[in-house]
Amino acid sequence: MGYLGMDVAAMTTNDWIGMFFSVAVFIGMVYVYVMVFHPANKDMFESQRGMALDDDDHINMGEKR
Amino acid sequence: MIVEATQATPVKYDMGVVKWFSIMAVVYLVVGTLLGVWIASELAWPFLNLDIPEITFGRLRPLHTNAVIFAFGGCTLFGTGFYMAQRTGATNLWSNGLAWFTFWGWNLIILLAIITLPLGITQSKEYAELEWPIDIMVAVVWLSFGINHIMTVAKRKTSHIYVSNWFTWGMFIMVTYLHVVNSLAIPVSLTQSYSIFSGVQDAMIQWWWGHNAVGFYLTAGFLGIMYYFVPKQANRPVFSYRLSVLHFWTLMFGYVWLGAHHLQYTALPDWTGSLAAAISLAMIIPSWGGAMNGMMTLSGAWDKLRTDYIMRFLVVSLAFYAMSTFEGPVMSIKTVNALSHYTDWTVGHVHSGALGWVVMVSAGALYHMIKKLWNTEMYSDNLVNVHFWLATIGTVVYIVAMWVSGIMQGLMWRDYDEYGTLTYTFVESVSAMHPYYAMRAIGGMIFNLGAWIMLFNVVMTVRQANAARVTNAVPAKA
Repeated sequence: MGYLGMDVAAMTTNDWIGMFFSVAVFIGMVYVYVMVFHPANKDMFESQRGMALDDDDHINMGEKR
Repeated sequence: MIVEATQATPVKYDMGVVKWFSIMAVVYLVVGTLLGVWIASELAWPFLNLDIPEITFGRLRPLHTNAVIFAFGGCTLFGTGFYMAQRTGATNLWSNGLAWFTFWGWNLIILLAIITLPLGITQSKEYAELEWPIDIMVAVVWLSFGINHIMTVAKRKTSHIYVSNWFTWGMFIMVTYLHVVNSLAIPVSLTQSYSIFSGVQDAMIQWWWGHNAVGFYLTAGFLGIMYYFVPKQANRPVFSYRLSVLHFWTLMFGYVWLGAHHLQYTALPDWTGSLAAAISLAMIIPSWGGAMNGMMTLSGAWDKLRTDYIMRFLVVSLAFYAMSTFEGPVMSIKTVNALSHYTDWTVGHVHSGALGWVVMVSAGALYHMIKKLWNTEMYSDNLVNVHFWLATIGTVVYIVAMWVSGIMQGLMWRDYDEYGTLTYTFVESVSAMHPYYAMRAIGGMIFNLGAWIMLFNVVMTVRQANAARVTNAVPAKA
């Protein structure tokens, strides 16, 4: 456990900034996992599955003149 | 108010600049891989240096990496980025003029790289060799692309921002940050500068940049391409949109931690390498999730692979993506790294990602896009198939040669006799590499031949399309 020990008194400003971002990223990751896998959001996300296929419907290719 | 586009509101796109980015991407693929073949041959047969400093390995190697990563990769990313942003947003570019500025600016930078690197004008930072005035130009041109892309998506006529555009944005934001910080230097003349970092901080910044150039430029950017062009070519919706969102965010959150795994057993604090290795292993989950997502998009339509040669490029690229995103984390583990680091195994790993993933997915996207842009079929589908097999065989020959030579190097360097002295001298290990270096050069030649065939096929396709347009136009005038 010594390897994971944390000497708060010795922490520099850089250490605190680093720790803040580490914790923020961890919380962000948890939020994303919950958001993506929550059953209530399934239809919202999956309704976009075919978006890349739809663009041929409104396309007129070629350089604008 | 953002409204859904309909068939009643056709959009006139700005595709001229996309066409030119596509053509130049294929040209730079030929040039970049040809340079690679040349320097690989120099390692196998050193007389090819010809005692000319400008064409020695040390001068041409950075030109090779700049040509394939920034010239080929950049033109592919810019072309597909503008293409996808317009089509998924049902809108034309925010600024066609700015897009042309990006095109000419980027090509000017490539021209300057071709001049300065063989002359030995370099910052000696891997994948960031260009001197400070060119670095500033890179930043300006890069911003011109990113701002134009963001503003194009902002004026879209669809309600949702497709995931490919998110990947492009992730790449844009992170590469801007990485490039600026890594390139911070004190200039002493137009062709000479010194990095503001030194010692272990310099090493850490270098690999924070180096690995994230792979992670955000060569992975995130090209994943954006994958999520658009795989469904388009397969004519099927992406297997799971939720998985693509998760893939995006885990990549964004996770990749930035990995750079320190390039510095195991160095002066860098031990915990940074351990942390980087742990996160590297965790990154297998989103990477494989994304690869499976792309492959499963073909679910129920695997028969397309028999006849659709463009689809073959896209699917095989995903196989290489899965393979190299497994191999990388394994190599970051300290025990494996003790054997693999500084050997050709690393070179093989990089090329399984670069040739197998980046070039394959790009080739698939470029073939698809060229047919659409010129509203024609390829000049020869058979040549697309020949290119596919040459690319696949060339890649496999290359990486197998490097695996064998790399593991052999690692084992020879660490071998001790009963008295505790090294069994082999370094020169003996170099000598033992010769057959594999020759094999690597041959693998590269096979791959390069495929690139030439692609260029020929693309040029003939464009000529065929232009000729058809002229033929159709003549009676109309009459």
